[in-house]
This record gives sequence, structure tokens and C-alpha cells, in this order.
Amino acid sequence: MSDKEILLVEDNPDDVELTRIAFDEAKVANRLVVVRDGAEALDYLFARGVHAGRDPEDLPSIVLLDLNLPRVDGREVLQAIRENPRTRSLPVVVLTTSTEPFDLESAYALGVNSYIQKPVDFERFVWAVKQVGLYWLVLNQPRDP
Amino acid sequence: MQHQDLSLPSIEPAGDTAELAALREALAASQAQVRALAAQQEAMAYGISHDLRSPLRTIDAYSSMLERDAGAALDDSGRERLGRIRAAAARMASLLEALLDYSRVERVELASAPVDLGLFADLALAELQEVDAAKRVTATIAPGLVAVGDERMLRLLMTHLVRNAWNFSGEQVKLDVSGRQEDGMIHVSVRDAGSGFDPRYAQRIFEPFQRAHLAEQGAGHGLGLAIAARIAERHGGRLHAESTPGSGSVFHVELPAAT
Repeated sequence: MSDKEILLVEDNPDDVELTRIAFDEAKVANRLVVVRDGAEALDYLFARGVHAGRDPEDLPSIVLLDLNLPRVDGREVLQAIRENPRTRSLPVVVLTTSTEPFDLESAYALGVNSYIQKPVDFERFVWAVKQVGLYWLVLNQPRDP
Repeated sequence: MQHQDLSLPSIEPAGDTAELAALREALAASQAQVRALAAQQEAMAYGISHDLRSPLRTIDAYSSMLERDAGAALDDSGRERLGRIRAAAARMASLLEALLDYSRVERVELASAPVDLGLFADLALAELQEVDAAKRVTATIAPGLVAVGDERMLRLLMTHLVRNAWNFSGEQVKLDVSGRQEDGMIHVSVRDAGSGFDPRYAQRIFEPFQRAHLAEQGAGHGLGLAIAARIAERHGGRLHAESTPGSGSVFHVELPAAT
């Protein structure tokens, strides 16, 4: 199982806390790094701005991305990840409340690995987060950076 | 809310090109207004889908954790109250989903492909059985009920018809889905042996938020049949119903048939 951290890009503090609880309940032990907007997500991944001190080679095992974010939105984050050779293969899972065909299509067109709608029901939310953890951290073989 | 005037200028025989140009300009302005309203509606629907579900998830999650972690410390009435909070959150989530579907039916661009309606009736039934395994189900779904239209929308239509039959059927669900083809249209009948409805409401049940029953008799959010009817109409078809109270209902849907 990958022991690298999980990067959660989410502006809603309630959703951040629930995702944290869901990972705990699903016994996913990887450290959860939370950034609250798209600009900070890119700073983190590219080790710049407030995250300039980070090792740019130290990428998370997976990015959980909300689409509607302040400053730089989720689609732009996804586009920047896919355009940079170093982050091109990074698994990105969109975790959002929207099932609008427009959101689905734009996310897949920009190269998202998976698109998951956050269920309202808490047990189903925990189940969904557990499946994400199992699949991307245990089952999936990532490409060497 | 301020209503914008969408009426077109009255068309009179154009005497000269200046008058014609003015009419064209007025028409273009009206069309721009319609587009702006459609964009506004889309933004509203998007807000519903994204921003209103999130607080609901928080309500459901914390009541669920409270029930699980502190449930033993509560008395029966405390546990019942928590259950009511969760049930209300689930109802509201389902209502939001339906409102979104209802607005989507109006604005979505329809695709056109052969769609197996029987298959989607079957899938809808399987989904319901998964959630409520206690009901006893007898279903007959005829093969080859193929319409032409938007797969996603027609699936939604069949889901609402089957769900309606399910909700009004009590512990014993008897569902019969059959059809015939005539003049390029496929006529599909979804028949149940549930409680039925008063035939006086045969039209009203297809209007949004109009119900012929109380919640404890099986009524839902009052949008399911309205969504189903609008989907049929947008495909150039229609949906109507007949019923004998106490012995069941038949919903007839007409859609373009596959040739």
C-alpha cells in the first residue's frame, strides 16, 4: 500500500472534516494534506509560493479534487497537472456534489482518472471514500514518476 | 422577483425595410433575453446541485455519528428524533435531485439512439429491491420495447414510472410492462396492482408538486411523474394514466419507435 500522503483540495470546511472522518473510519492511514483552493493546490504540487520549501519530487499518492474552488478552479488545477510532465501521471479523482453532464465532460476531457459524486448519506460517503482508498492506494499500480 | 417581458412585438405587414429592421432588432433583443434567462436558470440549477447538498451531507453525517456513538446514552425518544432528522435530510436530498432533474429535462439537448425501455424498467426494479428487500415482487417485462430517444432521459422516465408503481404497492408489488407499436410510435403500458388513484386526478398527477395521496400512503416529492411526463413530451410523445382505486393503475407512455 502506498504510504504517501493524500492531497485533498476542498474549500468547504465541513466537507474537509467529513472526508477526514471517512478516511479514519475506512482505516486509511495515509496523511491527509488539505489545501483550500486551486491556487494553493498548484503551489503545493509544484513546490512554490507558500509551499516553496517542499521537495517538488515528493508528490502525493492521489489528489482528491473538488471542481468549484475559489481563485483557481478545479478544472484549471487539473489542466495544469496534466500539462506538466512531472505531474502528468498523477492520479486525480474528482470528488464533487455535481453530476451535471457539463462537469463530467469537462473533467474527463481534461484527463481526470475518476469522477465521484459525494453521496448525502454518510454511510455511503464513508463507503465511497473507502473504495477510493482501496483502489488508488492498494490496488492501482502507479507509474514511476 | 422581477419578471421580464418576453413577449414578441406584434407582427404586422412590413411596409418598408426600416420597419422590418426594427422588428428584426426587437426579435434579436427578445431572443437574447430568453438566452439570458436560460443561463440564469442553469446557474440556479447548478447552485442547487452543488451548494445545497453539502450542508445536507453534514446534517446526515453528524446525526449518523451521534446515533452510532451516543445512541446508547439516549432514550427511545432521543433516538427517534435523530432518526427523524436523518429521514428529513434524505427526503430533502431526494427532492433536490428531483428539482435538478426537472430543470434538466427542459434544458438538456436530447440525443437520439435506440433505447430498451424494458431493460431500464428491470434495472429500476432491481435498484428498488436492493433498498427494500422485504417487498415481494412479481414482474413481467415484455422484451423488445425499444424507443428512440435520449438514453439518460428515457431511463429516468422508466425509473420514475417503476418507482411510482413500487411506492403505491404495499408489501406485494405486481408490475406488468408491455407494449405495442403503431404508426411509428411505441405504446408502453406500466401496470401495477397497487392502491390506484382517484380518476379525477388523472391529469393533475403529472403537474409538479401535485399529489393525489398523503406521504403515509406512498406519496413522494411530487415531481417524479411531472419529470416523466415532460420527458415523454420532449420526445414528441406523451404520458397518461388510468386507475381503478383499490386495484391499481396503468401508465401509458408513447414514444417514437425504433424502425
